[in-house]
Amino acid sequence: MILIGENIHIISKVIGEAIRNRDAGPIQSLAKAQTEAGADYLDLNLGPARKDPEQAGGWLVETVQEVTDLPISLDTMNHVAMEAGLKICQKRPILNSASGKADSKAYMMPLAVKYNTSVIISVLTDQGCPPDVDSRVESIMDTIACAGGLGIKTEDIWVDPIILPVSADQKQVREALEFIKILPDLLPGVKSLIGLSNLSNGAPTPLRGVLNRTYMIMMEKYGLYSAIVDVLDPELMELNRGGLPEVRELIHKVMDGAHIDMAALSERECNYVKTARVLLGESLYSHAWLES
Amino acid sequence: MQYKAPLETYTGRIKEVIIGRGAIAVKIGGENILPLHYFEGTAVNRTVIALEVDDNSAAGWAGWVVEPFKDVVSDPIKWARRCMELGADLICLHMESTDPQGANRPAEEAAALVKEMLSKVDAPLIVYGCGDEKKDVEVLTRVAEACKGENLLLGPAVKENYEAIARAVSENGHCIIAQTPIDINLEKELNVKLLKQLPPQRIVIDPLSSALGYGMEYSFTIMERTKQIGVIHGDMAMQIPIIADLGGECWKTHYAKANGEQGILWEGITAMSLLLAGANILVLRHPDNCRMVKEAIEGKF
Repeated sequence: MILIGENIHIISKVIGEAIRNRDAGPIQSLAKAQTEAGADYLDLNLGPARKDPEQAGGWLVETVQEVTDLPISLDTMNHVAMEAGLKICQKRPILNSASGKADSKAYMMPLAVKYNTSVIISVLTDQGCPPDVDSRVESIMDTIACAGGLGIKTEDIWVDPIILPVSADQKQVREALEFIKILPDLLPGVKSLIGLSNLSNGAPTPLRGVLNRTYMIMMEKYGLYSAIVDVLDPELMELNRGGLPEVRELIHKVMDGAHIDMAALSERECNYVKTARVLLGESLYSHAWLES
Repeated sequence: MQYKAPLETYTGRIKEVIIGRGAIAVKIGGENILPLHYFEGTAVNRTVIALEVDDNSAAGWAGWVVEPFKDVVSDPIKWARRCMELGADLICLHMESTDPQGANRPAEEAAALVKEMLSKVDAPLIVYGCGDEKKDVEVLTRVAEACKGENLLLGPAVKENYEAIARAVSENGHCIIAQTPIDINLEKELNVKLLKQLPPQRIVIDPLSSALGYGMEYSFTIMERTKQIGVIHGDMAMQIPIIADLGGECWKTHYAKANGEQGILWEGITAMSLLLAGANILVLRHPDNCRMVKEAIEGKF
């Protein structure tokens, strides 16, 4: 799976301040750390970039490119900042992201054509996030038709089903999984992507990793192409390299409904099994899901 | 050929909880069916009605609901006896007088009252603290100790204070009310944590019961889902009976305060709804509703 490093994000206090003060230090050190950890792309999340968007977009891309050769996924809803950044990317970037919103179709999608980028297209519309598989399908078909009309090539489209926190809406977690499963039949040739860590937003911080890693393996089984993740989680990176085969096998068994003898498992293995059951919606989520 | 209706059967069963001891004890829970689906399995115990007694002379209560008790409201013992005469299955004593923001009655005195009520009224007892998470630990611990072995139902235990209350409940032979703010995930979390200190036969869930027009549908959904997850999906942490403490919520609404008949209907409709949602104990204030809901439970209409 292609992994995009999520850590340079405006919501982080340190990064937010560094972007506002144009302080390259913290940003470059995170860029280096994620490069060394094995990321395939670096996501640069600028947020709405209301103040001086043109300068901000350009500065951030330049700052990161000074210390890494990795291609960039530029993440902002401000199309001015987006264009300023895309313009100076040395490697073919990802535009993160476009959606079915009217503004996005009008201002974001044309940038993907103009700068020849890959583009993440989410199922969001002006009405918000579609609540189930069918409405996600309806939304994405419509948006992709629009992208095609603008001249964006199928293989450059990375579809994002939008992952919501399991602690807020457990059913949506399952719906997104189903969506990824049927996507290749629905839209042959498009790629897929998820923002993985939002899954565990709101869950107890020390337990976020096991949620994220389990869901990554589940999504991988259904053919997910890429994910924006915490590449500084060594166990996640090891799993993505094919390590911990016993964990992967266990998660697959849960998905296949096979019988699992919990007594024969280590604590770590038990935790993966319990987590997979929660993410499949077989067991009701609570913050204490590993304790029962 | 005789027609036989298809029946659903479920794998899960709600645990049975006993409140009180000896001949007067009541049993709740034990069902392996969805609420009132008597035709699908065994209900074992039907929903019971508790009438509420306030230890603070019904201060703040709407006049209409004080009426049937107006000669006894300053004497909780007599009030409790009246409730039993009027058909209650058990008494729910709310210790509002212990509230630090109000009369701030000491835990010692509160415990003495509960002890006296046990000796003078033949009824199983539910005891609710005032809802102050610190004071409730003090009060409920003293009550638990003073009434050791009497198998009271004590609460509310919330996420901030459940450990101490569960300890007192466990050491002194009582049951606990696990209260969470109308949230199924938090409800399960508290159950999971309490189950490390107590067996499920000693826990009752209070998911908070909102009144008709004030969010009752949220309480309804939580209770309904709790039963489905416990009975259909077999989740052990949700196979625990539910208490709907709804009387106070209904009688504090504008509509109930404005008009007595309207108040009785407000409480009655809320009670009937939460009965359908799966409540195993309904806590009411007005005796007319005690009678009406009991008839419904017995299938008289």
